[in-house]
Amino acid sequence: MAEIATFERVLWGIILFLKLALFLLLIYRKNYRVYPCLFAYILPTLLQSPVLFFCYRIWGFSSQMSVNIAWSTQGLVVDVRALAVGEICRRVLQRYRGIWALAWRMLLAAAGLVLLYSWAVGRPHWQLAILNADRVFELAIALTIGILFLFVRYYEIEMAPAERLLAIGFFLFSCFSFLNDTILERRLYDYDVLWNLAGTVVFIPCLLLWIWALRQPQPETVFQPQMLPSNLYAEFAPEINFRLKALNEHLNQFWSAEARRP
Amino acid sequence: MSLFLYVFFAIAGLLLFLFLWSMRKPHRRGGALPDAGILEERGPGSVAHLPQIQQAFADSDFEFLFERAQSSLVRRVRRERRQVALAFLSAVREDFDRLLHTATIISVLSPEVAALHEFERLRLIVKFNLRYRIIRMQLHLGLAPIPRLSRLSDLVSGLSVRMETAMKELGERAALAAELASSLDRRGGDVA
Repeated sequence: MAEIATFERVLWGIILFLKLALFLLLIYRKNYRVYPCLFAYILPTLLQSPVLFFCYRIWGFSSQMSVNIAWSTQGLVVDVRALAVGEICRRVLQRYRGIWALAWRMLLAAAGLVLLYSWAVGRPHWQLAILNADRVFELAIALTIGILFLFVRYYEIEMAPAERLLAIGFFLFSCFSFLNDTILERRLYDYDVLWNLAGTVVFIPCLLLWIWALRQPQPETVFQPQMLPSNLYAEFAPEINFRLKALNEHLNQFWSAEARRP
Repeated sequence: MSLFLYVFFAIAGLLLFLFLWSMRKPHRRGGALPDAGILEERGPGSVAHLPQIQQAFADSDFEFLFERAQSSLVRRVRRERRQVALAFLSAVREDFDRLLHTATIISVLSPEVAALHEFERLRLIVKFNLRYRIIRMQLHLGLAPIPRLSRLSDLVSGLSVRMETAMKELGERAALAAELASSLDRRGGDVA
């Protein structure tokens, strides 16, 4: 335990307090019903801190046992975080059936491709396997949220402020964790202390963001818009594309045909 | 640092850029929330002025002026025509955006959406934006000659009219269904 700097211990204390606050807020505002996966993410995150604390006390900070337990709990936390992100995507897009059907396939495919790519180009070293897995998961989560934001913007979908803040928190945390893990993988021995500290520092604003997002009870059911008949899309979507294509060609002529004039 | 690390930093940078871009306040293309109520078109738009604009761009007018008027006047006319071309281009852009807005609402409110059509539209939007900006920049710099504007906006107007008709039909059907339902309710109430 003596290996952990005092400053980091203070940060741990702050994080534990914030996690507890978020956990209690989820229960007090009954938001666990609205975001069960988020609740399922906060619970192991909260339990992770005392588990690691006792591990470090019993086996020491740098012991193999502590490292194994720390990474195992981290694996669980990242998995549940992915579920929580999926839940936010679903809540934002699910009310638009057609868009959701397209989006979830795209999100899953993008996340899967990133997982495959990152795994393929990662260092083939078994000791780094867990770190690599953590990193690719973080990238996949960040990419998923990035695509969600693109969908929201492209289709002009209204996003509830709470969901927006939750997604921003997840996105920034995953992006940072991904970069942090990447640097750690390259500079394993001279970065590990800073890696731990940086990860802890970044988690604090994310927790504050989530607390702020969930300060009010969230509606369990979301507004369901009235859907149009499906034949309308089938009739107009190709027609619009055809017109847009023709308009593009005309724009091209607008420029090139006149360039030939004296 | 290795290439690997650069690639990963680039990915993270791109993600952050996309994130910030998507966080910008969206300019709603002439509308509010996706709602069946805003599917109605708002008149013919810039297309209504097409004959006058075409007249202003007629070659015969310009040739007549070139033969008889002073060069300063020709230059002035050319400059003014360029301004008209820019204004018309903007108006066509507005029509294009309005069509896209309608297309977006149809996609959002449709129970089934085809990925092929959506990707095709995205590709066309990117292409249109790129060309539009190039032409606009050239007109601003005086690099592009005065364009012919014929038929350009017909493409937008044709679809707008058809869509308006479809939406009107849809609205009438919905109103009829609502009326039927309420009359059935009334009858039910009488029986009771």
